[in-house]
Order: sequence, then structure tokens, then C-alpha cells
Amino acid sequence: MKLPFHSIRWRLQLWHALISLSLIVAVCLLAYRMAAEERQRQIDRSLFGFERFFFRQLFLEAAERKDDSPPKSAELRSALLALRDADPLPARFRGVFDAGEPYLGFWDSDGTLLFLSPNAPPGLRKPTFAPDDDLELVTSGHLRELHHRHGPGIALAVGRDMGDELAALGRFRLFLALGGGGLLLAALAGGWWLAGRALKPIDAISHTANRIAAGNLDERIAIAESDSELDQLARILNDTFGRLADAVERQKRFTADASHELRTPLTIILSETQRGLKREREPADYQQLLSHCQTAAQRMRGLVDSLLILAREDQPDDRCTRVPCDLAEIANRLADRMEPLAAGHGTLIHRKLQPAPIDGDPELLDTLVQNLLSNALSHPPPGTAVTIRTGVRDDRVELEVHDAGPGIPPEHLPKIFDRFYRIDRARTQGSGHSGLGLAIVRSIADSSGGTIEVESSPGQGTRFRVRFPRSRNGERGQNRTL
Amino acid sequence: MRLLVVEDDPLLLHSLREGLREENYAVDTATDGATGLEMALEIDFDAIVLDGMLPELDGWDVLGRLRAAKATPVLMLTARDGVPDRIRGLDAGADDYLTKPFDFDELLARLRALIRRNRGQPSNRILLGDLVLDLSTRTLGRGTDPIPLTPREYALVEYLALHRGSVVSRIVLYEHLFDESDDTLSNLLDVHVSNIRKKVRPDFITTRRGHGYCIE
Repeated sequence: MKLPFHSIRWRLQLWHALISLSLIVAVCLLAYRMAAEERQRQIDRSLFGFERFFFRQLFLEAAERKDDSPPKSAELRSALLALRDADPLPARFRGVFDAGEPYLGFWDSDGTLLFLSPNAPPGLRKPTFAPDDDLELVTSGHLRELHHRHGPGIALAVGRDMGDELAALGRFRLFLALGGGGLLLAALAGGWWLAGRALKPIDAISHTANRIAAGNLDERIAIAESDSELDQLARILNDTFGRLADAVERQKRFTADASHELRTPLTIILSETQRGLKREREPADYQQLLSHCQTAAQRMRGLVDSLLILAREDQPDDRCTRVPCDLAEIANRLADRMEPLAAGHGTLIHRKLQPAPIDGDPELLDTLVQNLLSNALSHPPPGTAVTIRTGVRDDRVELEVHDAGPGIPPEHLPKIFDRFYRIDRARTQGSGHSGLGLAIVRSIADSSGGTIEVESSPGQGTRFRVRFPRSRNGERGQNRTL
Repeated sequence: MRLLVVEDDPLLLHSLREGLREENYAVDTATDGATGLEMALEIDFDAIVLDGMLPELDGWDVLGRLRAAKATPVLMLTARDGVPDRIRGLDAGADDYLTKPFDFDELLARLRALIRRNRGQPSNRILLGDLVLDLSTRTLGRGTDPIPLTPREYALVEYLALHRGSVVSRIVLYEHLFDESDDTLSNLLDVHVSNIRKKVRPDFITTRRGHGYCIE
């Protein structure tokens, strides 16, 4: 089992939680801050309002008497002192300084208290001001005070208790915390569900892949009709699995075929040696036995050589040495070498060789030409004319091997390059043909960047044509090899 | 005993034919399925050695068509030791199978067992009165003393012993002791029988005039 935090679902969840948490916290903080500031502004407005209200009440008579000019310090001082000494307060101030209402105090420049409202908290002192500042809003504890300096001398402090507002804010805070927490939980649950839902197809894919890895190569991922990213992935994986299964199947068949091909010569060697050892024999008998064993062993050697070539060609590597060479020269050399075989077959190899410069591995090209020639010399009836042609056409280098034989039946044509495919097993069985010759030809053509095709019809014989890219080194190769 | 070997590889066919002939079997051969089937239907072989992969008609097809007509014991040779191939062979009516490469001695032992079982003979040792015929060592003996027989004589005794109690006609004997390559004179059988009688005892093989020979 994997560590839970390494799973995509958990990581998604973690990120989701982090993002949700920071968003919710940010929104809550913002809301709280706005609410708190709004309260503060309300309180401050009410303090200013109270100050104005008090002055209006204080100078009610004066205002009736005079214009709207601001009261002088002296007037203010006397009015305040009159108010302080009035007992009871004039009717218009009755109820104004009840508990819970704003309080206020006035001080003269020398610090003497001019007026203090009856509801003022104990210890209320004359406010101090910065030199060029006449107005100040101060919070101390749960009290909010407006400090104001009137003219040169008189300082006043209006304040009120913010207890109720602070309590309300506290409740709001709690509400935000609970609400935010709830929201976070809901978001997490939703995210978990969503991640699970989104990852479900991946689970299905990984289960299927596991079953395939366990050897069930026919298994495929079920694909929905939709075209989501995961369906595309599943499709790609299915394609890959298909190709893998094909490759494994091909490899299995190849191994089975190879072992099958090796079994018969092995059986011959075993059977001949065991037969030979059963009793004393004439020297001629022994010679025959030995020659049979030799034939079988040679067959095995040919097969093993072919298998090695194919195995090497199956390894896509760049060790393959590509040097500029001339296919015409190779064809010429191979035709020379195959001349005795052709003679034994009652025919000649006709050569129509034009310079054909290509980049390739000369050894592999040798094998390719040899296999094509040997194929043309062994399958058609004796005496069939064989032609080898090289040249350049359409900027491609061409090699053609043609035999004027009876041709290959069309139903066999698509399969003749398959490994171990033999058109007439009975006729070729004993002759040392493993059914790998043309497979090797195609494999070499592929690895040299070439293509191979075959044309065959009853009247025209059979023509194998291999096309290669022309040498990048121009005609230099031709000069070098000739 | 007369065998048919159907195998498309000429070298292996040669080796099997020579090896089996040296073991005193009469051996006929075919290199493709169609010919093999034809021969198997025409001649009553004592056993058939049949390769699986054959041109024209593969071994399994030959077996299927042969089984529609005859119960000749068949030993299949398969080049793949995959279980499906073996199951296919046995299901098609093969009596036994061998996977290439095989030991020649094992082939011989399995053929002996096939032929013996086909005659309802559970053991390799057949008691004929005071005589013992050992199929595995190919000897006839009285007590511990072996009776020297030529290969042909032994083959004749073996065939009659496996058909003990029934009269075997001269034609059937010819068919099972000689293959198509033998140019045997028709009185050779009488010579062998009289030689065996001299070596064992006069009444070992009885003659039914006009019918054939019999070991009681």
C-alpha cells in the first residue's frame, strides 16, 4: 500500500484544503474588518453628533439671540460653568447624561475642570494634544473618546462605552469562525468526492494495466463514448497494449517456430547416431550415417546463423556501420560467388548492373543479395533464367532480382516475407531452406532504410525489388569500392 | 510387423526407415499426408508413425480421416511440445505421441507397446506352453535357454504369437512381414516355418491346409 499522502487524491485534497482555507479565512477577515470599521465609524459619528448636540443645547438661548457665529471661548467658559453649577440641570439636558449615553468633560487651559457630565467614568482626565492637532479620536479599553480643543484654551473629551458593540462584534466573529469552518468542511467533502469521481477511471485503468502486467494480454481498458482526456489516455494505452501483445505473440510464435525448425535436424542426429551405435557396421554405412549427421548439423548451423542475423536486426541500435558502397559492385561479387550454384541449377545469372551508390553495412547487403539470388536459384524449376539489375531511379537506388519461373501463387504473396513461411514445405524441407531467407532480406532492407516489394504473375515470373535511399556522399562510394 | 512412417523430412524419414528395418520391422514410407492416408487405408499396418506437420494434409487431418475407417494404432510425432498440439493429436485419435527430438529406443519401446496393446496383450512376455516369447528383447526361450532364431523367423513367431489361437493366412503373413520393397519368393514363408519347427519343436506351428498357420 502506498503512503496515503503520495496518492493523487490526497494531494489534490491537501491543495484543495489549503486553497479553500486561505480563501475562507481571507473572506472572513475582510468581512470582520469591514464590520468592525463600520461600527467604529458609527460610534465616531455618534460622538461628533453628540458634541454638536451638546453645543446646540448649551447655546440654545444664545443661538436664538444671535447669528450662527461660533461661540467665543469666554462665552463657552461661562456657559459651561453655569451648567456645572446648575442643580438640577436645565430641563433640556435632562436625560442626556443617563448611564449608557455618551459622557463629556471640559477643561480649561490651566487644567481646571469646567464641566464633567454626571455619567463620566471615574479618572477621566484632561486630554493632551499634539502641538498642531486640535482633534483626536482615542480608544482606551472599551471606551471611545473624541478629544477636541476649542480655540486657545478649552479642551473637551466626548466618549462613550463601546461594550455593546464589542460584544456584537465578538458574536459576529464567532459566527464567522463557525460559518467559515462549516464552509471549509463542506468544501473538503465536496473536493474529496470530486477527486474520487475524477480519479475513478484512473483506478479502472490501473487495475486493467495490472491484470495485463500479470500476463492477461488480451485484457483492454473499457472506453466510454466520450472523448475526455482519460478516454484519450485509455485509447493510447489500449493501442500500446495491443502492440505489446502483438509483439509478444510474434516473439512466442518465432521462438516456437525456431525451436520447431531445430528439432527436426536434432532428431535426425539423435536417430542416426543411436541407430549407428546399435551394431557393428561396414565403413560405408558409417560414412553414410556421418554424412547424414553432417547434413543435419549444417542445417542447424544455417538456421542458427539466420536466427542470429534476425535477432541482431531486431535490436534497433546504431552500431550498424553505414559506409558508402556501391550495390552494383556487391551484386557483381555475389553473382560471381553464386555462379557454381547457378550452373548446378542449369542456368546463368544475367547482370544488368548500373552504379548504385548507397550508405549501408556491406556485410548485411551481401546477405541480402545472396538470399535473393539463392531464392531465385532454388525455387523455380532448373534452367529458369535469373536476372540481377541495379541502378538509380527517381533518386532511389534500386536492386532487382528476377526469375522467369512459374511465379508465386497470389495467396502466398502477402506472407512470403514472414519468418518460417514456406510456400511448398515438402519440396524445400530437405534442401536447407529454413524459411527465413526472405524474412532476413526484409529485415535488412528495413534496417537500411529501404523498402522491398515483390511482383509475381504466371507469365512474367517473379521480381523482387529493393529500393534504398541514395548515398548522401554522392558518387564517392562508387569510386571507393571499385 | 509392418509399419508405415509418414514424415516429410527426407533425412529423418531415411533414418527412421533404416532404423526400424534393422529392428526387423517391415517399413513403408510416405512423404506427404495424402499419400500416407491412401496407404494407411489400403494396407493393414500394425502401427503408423505419423508426423504432425506434413504437406498436402497435415498429420491431424490424416488421423481424423483414417479414424473414420480404421483403428490402426498411430504414434504421432510432434515438433512442438505445446500441450495443445498433444491434446489435439490424442483427441484426433492418436494412441501415443512423441515430441521431437526423441530417443530412437523410446520410439521402439512405444511402438512395441502400441502393437502389443492393440492385440490385447498386456505384458511383454508371452507364455507359449513351456516357451517364453519376450517382445522387448525379441527372443524366444525355453526356461533360461534361448532358442536362436533369425530376425525373420522371430518376426513370424511374434506375429503368430500375438494372434495366438487364430489362423493367420499366408497373404496376411506376407502383408505384415514384408514391406513394398521386399521381393520375396512365395515359398520363403514355408522355409521359415520349417526352420522354426526344427529349432523349437515340430508341432509349435500348425498348418491348416488352404487357410494358413497358427500357434495354439
